[in-house]
Amino acid sequence: MVSEPNAVIAVDIRKLTVKFGEFTAVDQVSLSVRKGEIFGFLGANGAGKTTTIRVLCGLLVPTSGHVRVAGYAPEDGLEKIKTRVGYMSQRFTLYDDLTVAENLKFSGSLRGIVGRKLEQRIEELLEFVGFSRATGAFVKDLPGGIKQQVSLAASILHDPEIVFLDEPTSGVTPGARERFWKLIRELAGKGKTVFVTTHYMDEAEHCERIALMKDGKIIALDSPGGLKASTFRTPLLEILPSRKMAEGSWLPQLRAHPAVESIEPYGMRYHLVISDPARLGEVKAQIPPSFEISQTAPSLEDVFIRLVEAGFIK
Amino acid sequence: MKWQMKWSRIIAVLRKEVFHILRDPFTLALALALPLILVLVFGLAIEFNIRELRMAVHDGDRTYQSRGLTEVLGSSGYFKLTNEVSPVAAMGALEGERAKAALIIEKNFGKQLGSEQVARAQVLLDGSDNSTVGLILGYLNGVQKIAEHKFLPEVASSNLEIRTKYLFNGELNSRWFTVPGLLAIVIAILSILLTSLTIAREWENGSMELLLSTPIRPLEIVIGKLVPYLVLGLGAATFVYLLARLGFGVPFRGSHFVLIPGVLLFITAYLTQGLLISVITRRQQLAMQLSMMTGLLPSILLSGFIFPIENMPPFFQVFTSILPAKWFIQISRGTFLSGSGFAELATPFLALFVLNGVLIMLATKNFKKDLEP
Ligand SMILES: Nc1ncnc2c1ncn2[C@@H]1O[C@H](COP(=O)(O)OP(=O)(O)O)[C@@H](O)[C@H]1O
Ligand SMILES: [Mg+2]
Repeated sequence: MVSEPNAVIAVDIRKLTVKFGEFTAVDQVSLSVRKGEIFGFLGANGAGKTTTIRVLCGLLVPTSGHVRVAGYAPEDGLEKIKTRVGYMSQRFTLYDDLTVAENLKFSGSLRGIVGRKLEQRIEELLEFVGFSRATGAFVKDLPGGIKQQVSLAASILHDPEIVFLDEPTSGVTPGARERFWKLIRELAGKGKTVFVTTHYMDEAEHCERIALMKDGKIIALDSPGGLKASTFRTPLLEILPSRKMAEGSWLPQLRAHPAVESIEPYGMRYHLVISDPARLGEVKAQIPPSFEISQTAPSLEDVFIRLVEAGFIK
Repeated sequence: MKWQMKWSRIIAVLRKEVFHILRDPFTLALALALPLILVLVFGLAIEFNIRELRMAVHDGDRTYQSRGLTEVLGSSGYFKLTNEVSPVAAMGALEGERAKAALIIEKNFGKQLGSEQVARAQVLLDGSDNSTVGLILGYLNGVQKIAEHKFLPEVASSNLEIRTKYLFNGELNSRWFTVPGLLAIVIAILSILLTSLTIAREWENGSMELLLSTPIRPLEIVIGKLVPYLVLGLGAATFVYLLARLGFGVPFRGSHFVLIPGVLLFITAYLTQGLLISVITRRQQLAMQLSMMTGLLPSILLSGFIFPIENMPPFFQVFTSILPAKWFIQISRGTFLSGSGFAELATPFLALFVLNGVLIMLATKNFKKDLEP
């Protein structure tokens, strides 16, 4: 990645560290994002995702390290960065007591877009995000998913090259999440770079590449497929315990089996990692016959559990 | 790296803030109803005990001019006169609480009126009686006008002077005095409280961060957000002024060119204090509490609005000097009641300048630290 020419790099981070007092929120993070890429930032709450984004948007000065966003470093003048990026904060930041139109006009005016041009742009973006209600509606009366669409419109009014979306789909319905991700893909299709954080693992599948963050550090960075392949080199079994035996001695017994590397709950089911593919049959024999057993492809959630929660080290 | 301040961005923030104000019943109620309620509560207190205030009169002149004056007083309906043989007896009546006021007419009163000299009659008031002093002052004002125009037609109207002097309470502390002081209270509430709330709200719901992610400069945000409250504060101040003058007939003896700069300085000080509070707290609840503690309560209790500063322990007499309200109340009362100009009010004006400087410095420093990465 380092060797790629700058013209195709939208975001470049080198050894970024952010400390709040003694506490290190972001620890020596390096990564770069290509132009037009959908880059996913994954991690539990408090991992340091928002802090990283705030540095990239010019809202926070890093303790050390270098960042370059849309070709500019913060030292070149924050307004250079601020005019080229759009930021949708993880908190809902539209004004509840203003109408949709008033909110968007306000955002536009702050960006120096005025008059007829602003009106056209608002119309265009509301159509893009699929907003079909009256623009005179107060934001407080809109459902969460629609609010997020309007927020997105507000953050891209000035046609930024890079869009930072911090947990854009938290707290909205699955249907609204699905629609939102369609918009993200459309944005990328128009050549925008999209830097998005989420803690929904299924959403991360939409990203071209994912950085997994834990305690301020990047612990993995790859495409979804690459992450799965590198994290799970051995078979993954999914078992569904029969209702009668949901609680039983089988669980500690299996866990103690030398060929079982880990068992993690996965909804009603369990995901079981076999350390040695040759001993797959042996493990299967240990599982009570009333259980449903299937060999499965790992999901990103499995990756996340394995890398972050279980502290698996490659 | 500096970039240009843009009026369009300031106006965008200002417009938005006006929407917030117009759509928030709490702000509107506070801005409109509060001045009215305060003036009514404090102003109406003056209306009690309206008739028949006992006044001890010593007429040392005994001319038809002096009798004319006492007659005007007696027939006004406000005072019930008792004659006293000597100035000392008149004072005794006042001290013994047999009278609320004493009128002493000196020997040469009639002669002075006839000539081109200034004729003086002295009214002594029991300054410790809050409820009546303001009232008497107001009546005397009217009585003097009637006397000049009706009963003493042959004299030039300017040479009758009724001097008032307060006994027992040098710095007069009357309810009358509270009405000009109300200007300070109303401004304190609107400026400190509303400013700190509006900016804290922006922090609290995260929109400050969004504002800062655009090219807008922090100073533009502040100007855009403060101007509507400056206007609101001025509006409320005008309202209190008009109510005081027209509704309660409080005299205005000074110059508006002195009062208005005073009001502006005072509002700026409190807007800045509100800004400082919101930058420090970032939370509406906390901002509200801090505004009450550092702005509203001291303005009411420690500024001389209710309790005279002279009667406070020495520590407080010094401590209160850091309260803009203390100085503004001096300006307000000075211009309303004593007709003071810049010369007499140099100290309060200077103090307000200094306090403004300090507050602006503190707010800018904290604001910069927080907002300019
Ligand atoms: N302004 C701040 N002051 C002190 N600590 C902070 C501040 N902002 C974030 N943190 C801490 O830094 C850590 C990372 O936070 P954040 O970047 O918001 O994580 P994420 O977005 O991944 O949930 C958290 O532990 C958080 O408490
Ligand atoms: Mg976050």
